[in-house]
Amino acid sequence: MSATLEKGLNAFKEVIDAPIASYFSSCVHCGLCAEACLFHNETGDPKYTPIHKLEPLRRVWKQEYTLLGKLGKMLGLTKPVTDAELTEWEPLVYDSCSMCGRCSMVCPVGNDITYMIRKMREGMAASGHAPEDLVGATTRAVTIGSPMGIKWPAVMAQIKHVQAETHIEVPVDKEGADYLVLMSSMEIINFPEYLSALSRIFKQAGVSWTLAQDAFEATNSGIQIGASDLAREIVGRIVVAAERLKVKCVISPECGHAFTAIRWEGPNLMGKPFGFEVKHILEVLDELHTAGRIKTRGKDKRPLTYHDPCQISRRGGVVEQPRRLLGAIAEDFREMPDAGVMNWCCGGGGGVSANSRAEPLRLEAFKVKKRQIETTDVHTLVTACANCRIVMEEGLEHYHMKVDVIGLTELLVDYLVEGE
Amino acid sequence: MTINNDSEFKAALNSLPGNRQRQLAARFAESVLVLSKDVRVKNAIEAARRNDITDDELDAAYKAAKKASVDSFTRCGKECDWNSQAGHFVAQAALACFEPGKSSAWESAMHARMARTSESIATGIGTDNAETTAQYRILDKYLAGEKA
Amino acid sequence: MSHLDLLTFARGSALNWALIVFAAGIVLRLFEILGLGRKADLARPRTDSPGSGWRTIFSRTLPPPGMLKREPVTYFGGYVFHFGLFIAIFFFAPHIEFFRGMTGLHWSSLPSALVDASVVAAIVALGALLAHRLNNKVKRMLSGLGDYIAWTATMLPLLTGYMAYHHLFVEYTLMLTLHLFSVELLLVLLPFTKLFHTFSLFISRWYNGDFFGRKGVAS
Repeated sequence: MSATLEKGLNAFKEVIDAPIASYFSSCVHCGLCAEACLFHNETGDPKYTPIHKLEPLRRVWKQEYTLLGKLGKMLGLTKPVTDAELTEWEPLVYDSCSMCGRCSMVCPVGNDITYMIRKMREGMAASGHAPEDLVGATTRAVTIGSPMGIKWPAVMAQIKHVQAETHIEVPVDKEGADYLVLMSSMEIINFPEYLSALSRIFKQAGVSWTLAQDAFEATNSGIQIGASDLAREIVGRIVVAAERLKVKCVISPECGHAFTAIRWEGPNLMGKPFGFEVKHILEVLDELHTAGRIKTRGKDKRPLTYHDPCQISRRGGVVEQPRRLLGAIAEDFREMPDAGVMNWCCGGGGGVSANSRAEPLRLEAFKVKKRQIETTDVHTLVTACANCRIVMEEGLEHYHMKVDVIGLTELLVDYLVEGE
Repeated sequence: MTINNDSEFKAALNSLPGNRQRQLAARFAESVLVLSKDVRVKNAIEAARRNDITDDELDAAYKAAKKASVDSFTRCGKECDWNSQAGHFVAQAALACFEPGKSSAWESAMHARMARTSESIATGIGTDNAETTAQYRILDKYLAGEKA
Repeated sequence: MSHLDLLTFARGSALNWALIVFAAGIVLRLFEILGLGRKADLARPRTDSPGSGWRTIFSRTLPPPGMLKREPVTYFGGYVFHFGLFIAIFFFAPHIEFFRGMTGLHWSSLPSALVDASVVAAIVALGALLAHRLNNKVKRMLSGLGDYIAWTATMLPLLTGYMAYHHLFVEYTLMLTLHLFSVELLLVLLPFTKLFHTFSLFISRWYNGDFFGRKGVAS
């Protein structure tokens, strides 16, 4: 056994807990999880059945944690997990799964398959079986501090651009602020309008906020690749900054996995509860709007719909907030079929969009989103995750659909009452 | 009248009718065209500048600019090449030429500035908001030309 | 060995051993699962959540939105089979007598004709589920020897029980013996196959509901 395969198998053993043992014990091979999975449905290929993606982990569980399995292993009757098998499973675990969570919602015996995939990725990464592109992102996150190679000077440049546009100062390292604002690399690079929107909204609401020079990055590629130690380091930077600046609340940006990483996995990675709150920007906007601290005027006349980013909605619980906000600023808001916690994934989450090998599969899986949008008959799609935005723009372009994709924060600010 | 700040700039732009906004947007995009290597973007901007463009040609130019824009997004997790990202914002500026609405020229100007900012991140040299001033002059010249 | 001797054996020591293996097996498997433990979740849960572990134990019995029309055979077949099996085991008078003998507890039975109809439905449903398993691409790919053994171990008590009740094929005493043997086989296999879902599904559903519930989602 090579060193890396051994590390992988050890990682598999370490992550198996009571829930995972219960899930594997309960699976009756009914195949319903496949029907919930967009990768399976749009390709018709049974190998994309969610529970099947976990087969190597299941065998390790059986051989290590069940009496019969252990006996079988001793007697040489069981099939060991090999390096070749992990190679074969790599595209199943990383290319055809965005950790969207739909399978976990439908399994009749209650298996949280998504949770198991997240854990399995730990072993896949440790054994050297994570996709090259994700490994690159992880390396950059470790060495540079951002998976996309963003350093503070780049953020500064964006801040300057935004300040010139809004004439509002962007606070940096301001101690005692109410909110510490995080950004995802995607926003810093592709959507500077997010920061400018925040500046204007927070000014209007009269809340104090700040960025942190040593913790501006919310994207957590450790979660995507399955490297908890890396995930911990990224979260750790944020915790240190939040505590140093004594903020009450950390705001997670319009990015799906960033929210999962800081809100739900964060304290567990750090081994202690946070002394501050963590909210998604949509939660904050909804609170400010409900409390009357920001007001809107006018409504967007375009028929529009909302895409629920999986990590924010189904896996994060932020479902009603965007709808309340859109209710205030949209004249013709239409829900797509399966809207809410059962919405279909854009296909690019969980590292899939960073993985160029997965592109053809991702584009094929997009057909489900295409159908949802066509049914709704709109040309404007609103969402709250920068990755979903780009994945959907690519998908829409690929299928020659003329639909604009906009971020909710950006849309809100178009109708913000300012200066009164 | 010379434009000296963004409030005047934005107000002047938004007061213009659609096809004038398109031509101005094209000029702003053209100012940063050097940052893009994508011929589709160049062609789209040239099309947007024309007075005599037909609706079909507009549509075709829009589609080309859209494809150029989507192709040049930096994907989540990929290493960011700020030079390429500058090209992306040029494509966005070109795209803004074709988006109907009251502020397509302003949108284009913002994207053009971001293209310059991206370039500045790549080179490490600051911009001193040079593009902003250049845009004021473009607008001044355009409005003066209109009157003539 | 006469049929009666065989029946005495089936009712006696064979049953005792089967029950011991069944009980010990269940305890062992529960230890194997719960003994692994679960790390405490240190993230602050949402306070007003519509979801919870207990809720999901019950709610997961129903098909989630959009799923029934995708897989009607799996759902309907599953419901009819499980319901029929449940009626047969717990509401057939002779079975209730058996439970009374073992535990002292007893309850009202259902008319035998109704139980009989439930068993027929369960057998047909189980047959349909096998056919579906063999024809459906996903199920076929997922299925192995374990699935077919589990199917057989489940079908045999239903079939033999039906045949015994209706005095079909072989002499009654022998049929009853076969029925008991098939039940004993099922008892012995249950803890060590996917049939253990009978018990573990409550645990799985609870973990699932708890995980989602903390995030404010009813799963």
